[in-house]
Amino acid sequence: MNRALRRISIAVLVMFVLLLANVNYLQAFEAGNLAGKPGNSRAFAAQFQYQRGEITTADGIVIASSKNVGGVYKYQRVYPLGPEYAPVTGYDALYSESGIEAAENSYLTGNSSKLAVRNVIDMITNKPRKGATVQLTLDSNAQNTAWSMLQATGKSGAVVALNPQTGAILAMASYPSYDPNQLAVLDGPQLNSNDNKLLKDPAQPLVNRATGATYPPGSTFKIVTSSAAFSQGNSNPNTVVNAPTTLQLPQSTAHLINNDGEVCGTLGDNKATIITAFTESCNTAFANIGMQLGSATLKSMAEKYGMNDPNLKIPTPVAQSNFPLEPDQATTALSAIGQKDDTVTPLQEAMFSATIANNGTLMKPYLIQQVQDAADLSIVDSASPTALGQPVSPTVASQIKQMMVSVVNSPDGTAAAFKNAIPGVQIAGKTGTAQNGINNSGLNDAVFTCFASNGNRSMAVGVIIQGGGYGAAAAAPIAVGVLKAYLENG
Amino acid sequence: MSSVATSEDAALGGMPDSPAAMPRGRRRTEAAMLLFAVALVTFAYANVGFGLKGSLPPGMAEYMIAFVVLLALAHLAVRILAPWADPLLLPLAATLNGLGIVMTYRLQEVGRNGNPGTMSVPLSSSATLIQIVYTAIGLGCFVAVLALVREPRVLQRYTYTFGVIAIILLALPALLPASISEVQGAKIQIRLGGFTIQPEEFAKLALALSFAGYLVAKREVLSLAGRRVLGIDLPRARDLGPVLIVWAVSLLLLVFESDIGTSALFMGLFVCMLYIATQRTSWLLIGFVLFVAGAYAASKLFGHVGERFQIWLHPFAGTNAFNSAYQLVQGLYGMASGGILGKGLGAGQPYLTPLVQSDFVVTAFGEELGMTGLMAILLLYGLIVQRGLATSVSVKDPFSKILAGGLAFMLALQIFVIVGGVTRLIPLTGITTPFLSQGGSSLVASWILIALLMRLSDAARRPPPQPIQDEGMTQVVNLS
Repeated sequence: MNRALRRISIAVLVMFVLLLANVNYLQAFEAGNLAGKPGNSRAFAAQFQYQRGEITTADGIVIASSKNVGGVYKYQRVYPLGPEYAPVTGYDALYSESGIEAAENSYLTGNSSKLAVRNVIDMITNKPRKGATVQLTLDSNAQNTAWSMLQATGKSGAVVALNPQTGAILAMASYPSYDPNQLAVLDGPQLNSNDNKLLKDPAQPLVNRATGATYPPGSTFKIVTSSAAFSQGNSNPNTVVNAPTTLQLPQSTAHLINNDGEVCGTLGDNKATIITAFTESCNTAFANIGMQLGSATLKSMAEKYGMNDPNLKIPTPVAQSNFPLEPDQATTALSAIGQKDDTVTPLQEAMFSATIANNGTLMKPYLIQQVQDAADLSIVDSASPTALGQPVSPTVASQIKQMMVSVVNSPDGTAAAFKNAIPGVQIAGKTGTAQNGINNSGLNDAVFTCFASNGNRSMAVGVIIQGGGYGAAAAAPIAVGVLKAYLENG
Repeated sequence: MSSVATSEDAALGGMPDSPAAMPRGRRRTEAAMLLFAVALVTFAYANVGFGLKGSLPPGMAEYMIAFVVLLALAHLAVRILAPWADPLLLPLAATLNGLGIVMTYRLQEVGRNGNPGTMSVPLSSSATLIQIVYTAIGLGCFVAVLALVREPRVLQRYTYTFGVIAIILLALPALLPASISEVQGAKIQIRLGGFTIQPEEFAKLALALSFAGYLVAKREVLSLAGRRVLGIDLPRARDLGPVLIVWAVSLLLLVFESDIGTSALFMGLFVCMLYIATQRTSWLLIGFVLFVAGAYAASKLFGHVGERFQIWLHPFAGTNAFNSAYQLVQGLYGMASGGILGKGLGAGQPYLTPLVQSDFVVTAFGEELGMTGLMAILLLYGLIVQRGLATSVSVKDPFSKILAGGLAFMLALQIFVIVGGVTRLIPLTGITTPFLSQGGSSLVASWILIALLMRLSDAARRPPPQPIQDEGMTQVVNLS
């Protein structure tokens, strides 16, 4: 009987070896795969077991941190300045992230392969694991001014400010905004209720208007039309063009007029220099220039400035600014003055000015200054400014700059009110008042793009206020306010 | 029967296992290992408290003292009733039982006293206390078996009594109305008042005893070879009767009680004991082929069985992971989240797996103690099985040999079926995890099984009686 027993012992041994091998397979080799399965709520809760890294501004203000609240989801996200930075930080909710929280998730959680060595050291030295700190390019002064001035208008809109030399985003505010703390709650039903409230809000607070929505650029697009014209080499700001009070659009019954039907400039005979037309923002002059250049030339220049690009990431994705090829002269004329099918993000507005401020070279906008290990403070990743391209030559850039300065300095300029807004600092800008709605029945959007430098610091700003009316009235004061806040603190 | 016993007596009396090493009782080893078991369990219990609240769990001292007192009493009983029994069986079983109490406490605290989680079927707030009471009943039965059964061969007299008891216990839930016997589509329990009894846990033991008695009586007939086919000696057709009867009973269990796990367990137990008794490989093949054919037919005929196969093969296909395979998949997720070292007791989320306290308790250990802890637990079971098989090899009396081998194999098979089931090695069938699952019947039956193995090992390791007078040594005849 012992022979049978020994054979049974071997069978039993095989059974146990199979069980042990299977446990090894499941818990050591297959564990990662199982953790990634949809509906695995344990893997999901694990995200909240470690302290997530902080998000700070360039000047060290903490705008997102994690606090230990105990429970299954140990760490809850806290946004001390809430709505002001919400369009940038986004939120870290139970089921999803947005904004920087999503784009930099692997650094913030500490899961990035660049942090693997640190995690092993922490495990061995029994230190609690903490995600890396993400330092943004935002300047808290500029951001604060942008947010509070936007809020004061009570209208929806957005402000984006760039460092023209690097592309670093210095301010990015959107109004109305939301409090991301409401989406960081760890109680599922509470989160759902807060989320539904925000989703149903007619003011659409979750939309990041700075990079996620597009608006007609209006007359600010004349920067692009001028760029296309001067780049041809046969015109400059002093070139005289046809600028009639009323322009009959070809193959159309429509008439284009200047603002309030004004006469453009003082030359008379329906003529004006380009700089005068730019300074007073004469629509008919630029409609004529656009028709002469043709839609393909305009589109090519618009694309050099960054339009029609669906892939821009800062690292959060940016909505595409649009300039489609127009089918006929009438629509080309309208597209040349920033109407018809043209739409841009406020970020794109800032990029127009930044290009001119940077002698014609457009830098890629970015939000992340550097990523720092939370434990030993070593730099894990840092920004390396790169050019997106050179839309215009330095010569053309200086010609456009001359015209943008004129908009502010000339007594007839559309932004003449801001001539001495910042003592000792020359502002260059372009206003836009974009018509809206069916048959242009909606309130006009106020648009302003500008740049300035105090020799030490420089900044380009784009502002769009929906239904704000004249660009100079609603958008320009905010842009100038942000410039002032930034330049006077540096 | 008596002739067999007499010849074995002579062998036992005249021939110690090995004259070089006189067997020792090794009760001190048992006491030391019990202390180790108690230390381990106490540490684990404290660990739950720290994992949950960062402090010692309230009531820990009382529960642990009760546990220690119960084990001390069991150890004293062994010293008196079975002084030569294997010294590892009691500590091994005590460790597993203690870990079961620890996990019961851990799961009882889910959603209570500010601890996170919600159980699909919450444990009562006195579940830990009840589990300790069951432990007391289990150890009481353990002592009672040792006290009542002083010689293993006594059990051989009740071969047919045990058979009848087993059949009554098995048939009872099937015959009773579903309202007091059905759980999760399987009719396997009897609900009386607030308590439930799972009669199959005890039926297993009765069947093992009955099979052993029957096979000792009939093993010579069953060993006779009939025709030889493909190098295998097939038994005579008329001797197939008992195998077919057990097969039929296990299939009936499958059909009427929808209980594949227990059915596999019975079939495995019987075939294994048959093989030990006859040493005929043909019986193994016949038993195996019959079971697989029966299970296959059942899977085609009955939805309940077929679904188990689908869950096993395709747990992540379609919406399975959220419906039919939800429990299995949650168990796998739990083990995956535990990884190599585990989340730590009290720090995982075992409550996400439905009914984790019964069939899926192994996944809770996998989650909180990790691969390392789970392997240690499997090795504890492996050691019990190994002690049982070693007892079977060393014991001389054929009834004891068949019984010890059968019980050890049944325990191994039960571990294989349930652990293999929840880890997706084989299709999942709901049977309890001995000692670890929350509940009484399984725990008490497991302690009775340990008592039987202790009694058998006591018989195996007992030294020969000393000669009363110096009459010279008896002539030694080696019969084995």
